[in-house]
Amino acid sequence: MLDISGDAGIAAFGRDLKELFENAAAGMYSLITDIGSLHESKSIDIAVENDSLERLLVAWLNELIFRFDVDGFIAKRVVITGFSVSPEESLHGGETEKPFAVRASLSGEEFDPARHEGKLLLKAATYHNLRIEKKNDIWRSEIIFDI
Amino acid sequence: MALDKLKRIDESKLEVPMDYKPGMHVPGIIYVDDNLEKDLEVESVDQVANVATLPGIIKAATAMPDIHTGYGFPIGGVAAFDLKDGIVSPGGVGYDINCGVRLLRSNLRKEEIIPKMKELVNVLFSEIPSGVGSKGRMRLGPDDERRIMTKGALWAVENGLGEQSDIEKIESAGRIDGADPSLVSARAYERGRAQQGTLGSGNHFLEIQFVDKIYDEKAANALGLFAGQITVMIHTGSRGFGHQVCSDFLEVMERAAEKYKIELYDRELACAPFQSPEAQDYLAAMRAAANYAWANRQCIMHWTRETFMKVLGASPGALGMSLVYDVAHNVAKVEDHVVNGKKKKLVVHRKGATRAFPPGHPELPECYRHLGQPVLIPGDMGRASFVLLGTEKAMQETFGSTCHGAGRLMSRHQAIRKAKGRAIWRELEDKGIIVRSAGRSTLAEEMSEAYKDVSDVVEVVHKAGISTKVARLRPLGVVKG
Repeated sequence: MLDISGDAGIAAFGRDLKELFENAAAGMYSLITDIGSLHESKSIDIAVENDSLERLLVAWLNELIFRFDVDGFIAKRVVITGFSVSPEESLHGGETEKPFAVRASLSGEEFDPARHEGKLLLKAATYHNLRIEKKNDIWRSEIIFDI
Repeated sequence: MALDKLKRIDESKLEVPMDYKPGMHVPGIIYVDDNLEKDLEVESVDQVANVATLPGIIKAATAMPDIHTGYGFPIGGVAAFDLKDGIVSPGGVGYDINCGVRLLRSNLRKEEIIPKMKELVNVLFSEIPSGVGSKGRMRLGPDDERRIMTKGALWAVENGLGEQSDIEKIESAGRIDGADPSLVSARAYERGRAQQGTLGSGNHFLEIQFVDKIYDEKAANALGLFAGQITVMIHTGSRGFGHQVCSDFLEVMERAAEKYKIELYDRELACAPFQSPEAQDYLAAMRAAANYAWANRQCIMHWTRETFMKVLGASPGALGMSLVYDVAHNVAKVEDHVVNGKKKKLVVHRKGATRAFPPGHPELPECYRHLGQPVLIPGDMGRASFVLLGTEKAMQETFGSTCHGAGRLMSRHQAIRKAKGRAIWRELEDKGIIVRSAGRSTLAEEMSEAYKDVSDVVEVVHKAGISTKVARLRPLGVVKG
């Protein structure tokens, strides 16, 4: 967790981008509630694409915030089932203009204020001081959320 | 960049000179005195300078004494742009479009309701949805949402939530013209469906207060305020609906900035020329979100009045709970201002700043036109809030703007660490303040020490003459998300 005046951020790590995105999602969910208290009674699939890696990360987290805000869905487990970072590898066979794409399977449940602790209400993932970098074979990213 | 580059203009203002950073078109002006200068964050000063590099900015990038670091634009910032050469930026408004404050007066005196305070706070807490994962009392169809986007607070009144007389006491009569529901994404519609009439979380609140000090007897009288009186303050915005509009358009604006070759120091400054379709579309969607927020505060106020009637067993006439005023503190508006002696239309971005129009301004409701615009400044839950009035000096210096609140001093994490082992609710109760919050850590994150003292902030704008003090309000009962 990162310290920033007024808001909250996370630092996420991964051996590859797939793991980085999974951990960023788990880190973000841990700002909303104690993910240990969640059950896996519902599964959803999510697909997001964008035209740069940074935009993809922000769009990915904003998609999860959107699902939480609309359906109350919050995941205990996030598994990335498809990931592409170049036009050749694109999920759409290279025909899309948005070559960065992520597809994921999430299992969790609907947030219930009576059973789950409500920590922070996240408005959005931001580009503020956004970093995605690879150092010594480990991917690292810092993301700040508007509260 | 170093804070030693700042120049003191007078006891209430600092200048961020044009050589602070390459590319500045105008200087920055920060309203702080010696006392609050100590709390200035370098990053927030950098952000003032960054805003000064944006095309078509007029006169100065301005910041209020409650300045703190935001995304792209600082919080507590005011920036006005020319309609011909200037830009529009969602970052200059913020994620919570038309986050704002509304104040209700009453005929009640403090002593009358103190015995009922716990019950009032508990019932308000259950009647008004708040906190993470809370759902509103209404489920809206797309047609309802479209009507809210164009009608604002009036939609709520037409649906039995409030009085027609409430409308004139809202900034812009609770509705900005030029909202276009067709420019709002399906995702924003979805997020807005169940969040109308909800308080949210974070620094949003509903507070029962009493008037503990009057600075301007005549003005207080005209606003219906008197010493010892009970008031209610509501602080919230456009909820997930507005957040989605902002997120959607940040992406649009980032591409637009590339397309129109606007150089940016920070990607959260993403913007487009005022005349461009991207900027016009954003403004039309932003106005829809601003109107959603006015409807939201109207609904919450109505349920607050109902709760008071129920708990106190009193008639509306006996309670006399009527709206004093409602202000937006995160919004962009096209307004008339005088630049170099000439009247000009500008697009004024206020992000964590409140409009503070002077007496006689045509946009003020008739009942307050002789006074100047009422300005509502919420403080933290343990100290105070203020009622001020707009002035001619604000019109001349700050595009008719003033501060918006206390401004944070500590991060949420620091606050939680500082509150460890303490029961914040009990500390507040010892001071005579009853609190209820949905989130367990909210009270620690929102405790008084996490904020600047709002009295210090208000002192600066009062001394600078960009608004004047009318009354101070102290909290008695607080509902947090």
